[in-house]
Amino acid sequence: MQHPLPRRGLLAGLAALPPLAALSACQVQGGADEANASFPTRAVDFWVPFDAGGSGDLISRAVAKAAEEPLGESLPVTNKPGANGAVGLKELLAGKADGYTICLAVKSLFAIGPLVVDDPDAVTIDQLRIITTLTNEGYVLVVHADSPYQTLEDLLAATHVNYGTTGVGTGSQLSAGLLFGIAGVEATDVPFDGGGPTVTALLGKDIDAASLSLAETMPHIQAGDMRALCVFSEERSVYLNEVPTALEKDLNILVDQRRFIVVPADTPDDVVGVLTLAFEDAREGGEYGQFLQDNYMERWEVDGIEAQLHLAEATEQFAAQIAESGVELGTAE
Amino acid sequence: MADTELEAAQEEADEPRAGGRVQSIAAGAVPVVLGGVAAWLSFGLNIGSLTEPGPGLWPLIVAGLLVASGIGIIAVTARSRRDTEAFTRGTIAVLAAAGGLAVYASLYEIVGFEVPTVLLMFAWLRFLSRESWLMSAILAVAVTAAAYALFIIGLNVPLPHVIVF
Amino acid sequence: MDFSSVLSGFTVAFEWQNILFCLLGVTVGMLIGVLPGLGPAATIAILLPVTYNLEPTAAVIMLAGIFYGAQYGGTITSVLLKLPGEASTVVTALDGHALARRGQAGPALGIAAIASFIGGTASIILLTFIAPALAGVALAFGPAEYTVLALIGIFLVGTLGNGSVIKSAAAAAAGLLLATVGLDPLLGTPRFTFGTDQLADGIDFTIVAMGLFGVGEILYNLEHRDRPQTGVPSFGRAIPSRLHWLQSRLAILRGSVTGFILGILPGGGATMSSLVAYAVEKRTAKDPSRFGKGAIEGVAGPESANNAAATSSFIPLLTLGIPANATMAVLFGALMLQGITPGPQLMSDHPDVFWGVVNSMYLGNILLLILSIPLIGLFVRMLKVRPGILAPITVVITMIGTYSIRNNAFDMLLVIGLGLLGYGMRKLGFEPGPFVLAFVLGSLLEASFRRSMRIFGGDVTEYVKQPVSGTLVAILVLTVVIVPLLRKVRTRQTAGAEAAGVKAD
Repeated sequence: MQHPLPRRGLLAGLAALPPLAALSACQVQGGADEANASFPTRAVDFWVPFDAGGSGDLISRAVAKAAEEPLGESLPVTNKPGANGAVGLKELLAGKADGYTICLAVKSLFAIGPLVVDDPDAVTIDQLRIITTLTNEGYVLVVHADSPYQTLEDLLAATHVNYGTTGVGTGSQLSAGLLFGIAGVEATDVPFDGGGPTVTALLGKDIDAASLSLAETMPHIQAGDMRALCVFSEERSVYLNEVPTALEKDLNILVDQRRFIVVPADTPDDVVGVLTLAFEDAREGGEYGQFLQDNYMERWEVDGIEAQLHLAEATEQFAAQIAESGVELGTAE
Repeated sequence: MADTELEAAQEEADEPRAGGRVQSIAAGAVPVVLGGVAAWLSFGLNIGSLTEPGPGLWPLIVAGLLVASGIGIIAVTARSRRDTEAFTRGTIAVLAAAGGLAVYASLYEIVGFEVPTVLLMFAWLRFLSRESWLMSAILAVAVTAAAYALFIIGLNVPLPHVIVF
Repeated sequence: MDFSSVLSGFTVAFEWQNILFCLLGVTVGMLIGVLPGLGPAATIAILLPVTYNLEPTAAVIMLAGIFYGAQYGGTITSVLLKLPGEASTVVTALDGHALARRGQAGPALGIAAIASFIGGTASIILLTFIAPALAGVALAFGPAEYTVLALIGIFLVGTLGNGSVIKSAAAAAAGLLLATVGLDPLLGTPRFTFGTDQLADGIDFTIVAMGLFGVGEILYNLEHRDRPQTGVPSFGRAIPSRLHWLQSRLAILRGSVTGFILGILPGGGATMSSLVAYAVEKRTAKDPSRFGKGAIEGVAGPESANNAAATSSFIPLLTLGIPANATMAVLFGALMLQGITPGPQLMSDHPDVFWGVVNSMYLGNILLLILSIPLIGLFVRMLKVRPGILAPITVVITMIGTYSIRNNAFDMLLVIGLGLLGYGMRKLGFEPGPFVLAFVLGSLLEASFRRSMRIFGGDVTEYVKQPVSGTLVAILVLTVVIVPLLRKVRTRQTAGAEAAGVKAD
């Protein structure tokens, strides 16, 4: 892959460096600046702690492709799936904090995970440093097009609802669980193994409703096979403008999935700076933008500190809401 | 036709020695013990009920099946059948190979795949397959090089490796 | 149906660059199929960046070629080394390897290639004519139906073994137990994970199959390495004889249909197809005792079934946007990256992509058949290599393949442990086949059963009341209870009739 393009990218990367190197000189006392000032000198491994083919994998590949030029090096993507990303992140933390390995992470692992499984060794957000934030994906509550429930009110007036979720500890389970819990509807959750099987079960009318991501449902909503009843974002989705938010219906539920890229917390500042700049450039790319649009994802572009704050607040907010509504997620023992 | 007869004769000569009575009973005892341990662990998982199954119910059922079939094996097979195979001195080679592989796997992410692969190939060829020193050395390097070319250069598999072109 | 788009799909498929990418795809597919552990899903993910700059149709033609090409290649290692890299080739390993040990590796692989070709091609033809209608079949299968299907599968596992029934049962129970490792599918409670995240998602099937069969076999042979090496006496020709063909043609026909139907089901149908095909062959055979010792039908049936299933597993992806297996999930991603959304509108929005890809599979299957004949000759010659040299090479390739599944070294330790288990089982007289297949069906059975019980609110009678699951329950009762009973009665009658000196039937 040693084509003219990356080389031109390298120049662009170097041009962006001087102010940054000056910045780092103030922060890192007596560090071997020379070695870091030339970061990166080789390919940067981009780990995706999820299976190939899923949303996380797709975003990573799209953004990695866009970041190659500004970074000036290739970003080969490697899938390290397991435990909603925990396996890959733990391996990241066990390795060198030199910026040559970066990893995708998701909000649900930090904000919902601890509420479901009590794991003393769980990866926490303090162990990581967010180099860039990427997307915000909303959840939408859908029913089958033939379903008798035309509106959210119809559904919440039902005597009993079987709702599918994409698994334990997912935003899908949390959002739907909170909805029925707060509204006081007698409901049974049926966890499936991911989005695909949940969509199949809804289309096959095995379940009455499900909260799924926009990417999973939009093609079916557009084909007229599913009906959206509400979204769980703060404001209406740009892709589903006619569908109300749960907030509008006086149900205080805010659940979304957010994705971002991390390195171990003790990675040198200047290295993080180079990576951050490269990904800021990458997010501007037209193809990446088109990809987000094609997949019904919204941008989440804030700085690392704000992102870290958001994750911490979300955990507390979810814990409070779960306690308030009396919803049970899995068997947190 | 003569071919098949020869084969049959050879196969008979190769037939490994059947295991003894102790081993036949062990064939039933192992599932019983395994099932017992699994059942004990399942009880720690919250069994629930048939209509509201907890995480431990299904493992408990399966563990029960395992124990039952183990008892069945002891009752039926130990007396009438001789379908086990005696352990021989060769068992040591099997354990050595497994141990070597475990070391190989542990080194993989630390020093890359090249050096451990050469060492594993060499040790296996020389000590387990009893090839000559020279043959073992040449093959060990050749196979590692071929694997490098195929997986890393050809198929672009992200294996940990130290040699970069 | 709009036949003009079907025909224009042929024009797309036969553009020279698409032919080239098809050839490239099936060749890579065949290669990685031969390499144990390195599956089509991982390979497609690795090769995704290569496709960025291709036209969508060419990209998907190539990636699809990798998938069905791997099905052809996977058979080779199953037969020659008893090293199945995919769930679908476990069953092929049983009789295929037995044939190879009898010096019939050539004909076994030849029949497998022909069966694969016929299964694959028949499945494309069926897909072309009834794909849209069949999308509904995938949806008719919910948790209740999968429960009964998995139950049928578990009972069929019992027909696999040749040894003692009770030992098969014990092996199957152990397989079911291993399948419970990981987080509880409904509640998320860790079960038998011993506190490690590495086991949270359970153990990958490929690891179990490669450990128990491949590594187990190598360790087992190591014990007897001092015995004079007999090797494999004669290799046989790659082209099967007329007798082989006569023995297997009906099996191929039955396997193709079974595979096509089961392949449509997104949740584990394709895995079951080869198992069901094998069971059907063994049950309809005049002499079932030949199975497991090298019955050519035991290769032909499952092979046609798994290739038919591989093709029909495209149906849920292309018509509903639901990936039926890990490879389809990656293909789904590949399409999305190309800006094409697989789903209900694919056929109308992008008919050129849909029919171009479907029709390229005809060509791909022909190419694979042509590639197979010389390759089989080549691979069979591999058996001439001294086992002492072949074994460590196989081990190294298996280890690399294992690593590539999750890019994780822990999995390599697992495969070694399972290899030791396979060795121990063999010494104690257990067969690995029931263990491995029960492992696959175990999680499907438990999760589906518990899901359906939640949906039914704990009412077991719903299984019979629902039309599709009710039908399946009837099939279960028929095959598991009534047919064996009838057979018993008939044997007794036959015996009685023969005693009376009258020939029955």
